[in-house]
Formats: sequence, C-alpha cells, structure tokens
Amino acid sequence: MCAQTETLDTEPDRGAAPIRLDGLTKRYGDVTANDAVSFDVGAGEIFGYLGPNGAGKTTTIRLLLGLIKPTSGSAEVLGADIRDRRALTDVKADIGYLPDSLGFEERLTGRQVLDYFARMRGDERREELLELFRPPLDKRVETYSHGNKRMLGIVQTFMHDPDLVILDEPTSGLDPLKQDRMHLFLEEERDAGKTVFFSSHVLSEVQRVCDRVGIIRDGALVALEGVDDLLERSGKDVRVQLAAPVDEERFATAEMIDVEAVDRTVRFTYTGEPAALLDHLVQFEIEDVDIGDPQLDEIFKHYYGNDAEE
Amino acid sequence: MTAILRLESRKLLRGTLTLTGLLVLLSAFFLVVFPSIQEEAALFEEIYPEYMLELLGIEELHTIEGFLGGYIFPFVWILLAGIYFAYVSAGLISRDVRTRRMDLTLSNPVSRESVVVQKIAALWVPLVALNVGMFAALLAGVVLLGESIDPVSLTMVHALGVPYLLVCAGIGIVFSVVFDRVETAQAAALGLVFVCWLVDGLSHMNPDFEWVGDLTPSRYYDPTAILVHEEYALGDAGILLAGFLVLLGVAILVFTRRDI
Repeated sequence: MCAQTETLDTEPDRGAAPIRLDGLTKRYGDVTANDAVSFDVGAGEIFGYLGPNGAGKTTTIRLLLGLIKPTSGSAEVLGADIRDRRALTDVKADIGYLPDSLGFEERLTGRQVLDYFARMRGDERREELLELFRPPLDKRVETYSHGNKRMLGIVQTFMHDPDLVILDEPTSGLDPLKQDRMHLFLEEERDAGKTVFFSSHVLSEVQRVCDRVGIIRDGALVALEGVDDLLERSGKDVRVQLAAPVDEERFATAEMIDVEAVDRTVRFTYTGEPAALLDHLVQFEIEDVDIGDPQLDEIFKHYYGNDAEE
Repeated sequence: MTAILRLESRKLLRGTLTLTGLLVLLSAFFLVVFPSIQEEAALFEEIYPEYMLELLGIEELHTIEGFLGGYIFPFVWILLAGIYFAYVSAGLISRDVRTRRMDLTLSNPVSRESVVVQKIAALWVPLVALNVGMFAALLAGVVLLGESIDPVSLTMVHALGVPYLLVCAGIGIVFSVVFDRVETAQAAALGLVFVCWLVDGLSHMNPDFEWVGDLTPSRYYDPTAILVHEEYALGDAGILLAGFLVLLGVAILVFTRRDI
C-alpha cells in the first residue's frame, strides 16, 4: 500500500551524510504522515524540502529530532541513529533548529531567551548574528511581531555555530528585505561548510537558495533532484490579456501546457525558453502579461501527477 | 545543565509569592479566631466521645498545638498546598508540549529525563517559600496570642510535610506527561489530591474501609501527632518519599517513550 520511494542521488561517501533517511515511516492510525521516505542530505549543501502545507515536512523534521518515533524505517542525523536517544541527544549540541511555530517563553525578554539557550549549548556567534538580525532584545517576547520572533529564532538557531541546521519555514513572517538577508546568510553559511535542511512550501524560495530539492506530497517523497532540473521542469505560470479573443489553436505552442482560454484571457504553464515565449507573444495584440512561479500544486499535477498515487 | 531548572524556578516565583501570601493570610485568620473557639473547643471535647475526636484527628483542640495540628495544617497544608503542588506540576510538561515549547527545549543536547527532573527540582522555590513563610507566620501568631509552642515540633511539622507535598507534585507530573491537554492534566491532578484528602478523612468513619485511607498520602503525615505528642513518624515520611520517587520514575518512563 505504501509507495516505495527509491533512494536517488546516493552520496559518494555515505558515512559523511549529515542526514540520511531510510524508509522513514510515521503513521497515526490510518493517516500516513511520512511514507517510506528515503534520501540523503550531503555535507555542505542546502537541501530544500518542498511540499504544500500538510504534506508531512514537519513530521519528517520532528522524526529527525527524535520528538516522535518512527513507525518503521530509520534515519541518521550527524551519524546518530534517531532511535538511539542518547546518541541523538549528544549530537544535538551541533544542530540548530528553527521550528515553524516558535515556542519561546513569552514572559522573558529576547535577551533572556537567548541566555537560556546559550546556557544549554553556547552562543559564540550571538553578537555577529544580532548585527544581521535585530529583534528588540530588551522587550518581552510576548510583545514581538511575527517577524521579530522569527529573527530571534534565527539567532537562536545559529548562535552556537552548529554543523547542521534544520529550518522549518524559516522566512515566514519576515519582510522581503529580511528574507533576502536570510537567503544570503544561508548561502554564506553553506559556503563555510554548514549543512542546511530547508523546509518550505514556497517554490521560488527553494529555487533561489537550495542546491538540491526533495519534494514531498501526502507524506511520500515524489521527487529528488537538483534545483536546476526542477527549474527546467517546473516552467512558468503565464497569464496573457489580449485585446481581442483569439483562436486557441493558433495561440498555443508545444511548450504550453494546460492552456485555458476564457474570452480575451489565456492562462497556461510555459516550459520553454522565456525568449521564445516573448517572440511568440509579440505576434498578438497584448494588453497585459503576467509571468510568475507556478503553484506547487500545479507542478505536482504536471510533472509528478499520478506517480505518487500508486 | 541547569538552564531549565533556573528558568522554571524563575517562572514559579510569582505564583509562589502569591500562594505563600494567601496561605499566611488564611493562617492568620485561623489564629485570630483561636481565642474565641478555645472555650468552645473544651466543651466540644467533653461532649464528643474520645474515639470520635481521635478519628477526626482532633485532639487537644483547646491548646495551640492541637489547634494548629487539627485545623490549620489539615486545611492549609494538606489540602490547599497539596492541591497547589499537584496543579503546578501537572502543567510543567503538558503546557510545554502543548505550546510546542518542548520542541525547542528538546532540540538542545538535553535528555528527556533531565527535563523532567529539572522541572520537578524547580519546586524547591514554593517548598522553601511556603515553609519559611508559614513557619514565621505561625511562630509570630502564636507569640502574639500570648501562647507558646515548641520550635522543634513546629520545625518538624513543616519538614515532615515536605514529602507529602512532593507526593502531590508526583501525582501532578505523572498526569502532566500522560495528558495532552493542560487543563485535563491539571484538573485530574487537583481532583485526585482533593479526593485523596476526602477519602482519608471519610475512611476514619468506618473501620471496614479504613484500609482505603492507607492508600492516601495524607495518611502518612499527621500534624496533630507531631505537634501534640511530638511523634515524628520518620518511617511514614520515608514511605511518602519513596512514593514520590516511584511517581517521578513513572513520569520519566512515560515521557521518554511517548511522542510529543
């Protein structure tokens, strides 16, 4: 009944993989939150873990941290088997974790929160990080905006200079400027040798910062590939507003998928070269064009479609 | 690794001060009425048969020792403070799990055993505050009433009450790791301590059911015996301490095995 996802992209030196999942499965009654998920995250890469909300991303992360126990299968984090509590506790000194919902002690100030975590695992990079991300340290966490909480979380995640960081929707709540700063920061950290596990439901974000992507849907890993391949395959979401209704046959090209023409508006997913699309469009009388990233669901529909259902 | 202990101790400070203040105030009210019921108490003791009073745990009610042991301690210490300890410890784990704070805590290199132990250890704050506050208040009250009390037995009645409160905390921590909802854990812990107190009292009434009372923690802490007869039941205190350790062990066992 489970989709057996084959292990793709095996790292040459398997012993060095900071994260390795092997048929990791978590069931809650009839609900399979993670279905035999297998993949490796190599040292020094930013691995994107992409999927719509509710796909099972957070379940995987909570399994990796030993917060929940797998129904079957296993995983290793920094060489520690997640079923070996003692070994996993020990390696957590070298892990940074940014959860999707940040459970800070609301009554403490930001500074006190950082002091608390510093006592458990150190804070040698605290000052450096606070120059990049600046939550109001002297205010109580309960007065924080979503973005400030997130920044406090980012400082907390990185301040003990971990080898591996696990980020669950790390930029949610951050304004675009801070998101950019975060992306840049992650790239620098990666270049400095850190391994980043980056869970997100935002395709463009994953495309921008990640080296490799695993896509999860309904608890199962449906794709594992380099970001460039994903980009190539995902195409663009295009909406064209024409001056007059047009014949769909004449308008559509081989690179267009799922063409929908309603009156003067045509929507489609474009999988070819952008320049070719623009060349094609100028033949028509265009009022407006909107080119954007496709929704994740769209990508699933087009490229992974029914494979995951089997 | 004392970060959790420090944080939890700090969090308990405010509630502890409120509780100690309230219980001291309540004890003061009791003491204020002591002179007026002193005479009635003597009458009371004459009317009721001896065994009845003994079973109710009321002895020498007209003396300050009997009054403290028969009135103030059963109510303020055994019932109210016991409920507080059960209630607070029932929230220690369940609330953190509920608010996902536990996710962050456990992402640190700290074992689940250590989390439970540090959280329970933070109860030193209300334990110390309550003992010091009540001791000082009762001693001052007794002196103000022109009575006198043996400071040793007053110390012992506090000291031997600590294992009892720890058992209440043990009940709370077990519920805290078993239940997912904070409210459920706290209501269950509070309710059980109350029921135990009630069962202990009622089981005295019927010799056939007296054995049921042996299962309640308050059976092993007798303020009247300590204050009136200077009987320090160290064995009973040992039973309570052992009970606390068993409950703590159960809580750790459950918590280390469950998903959070």
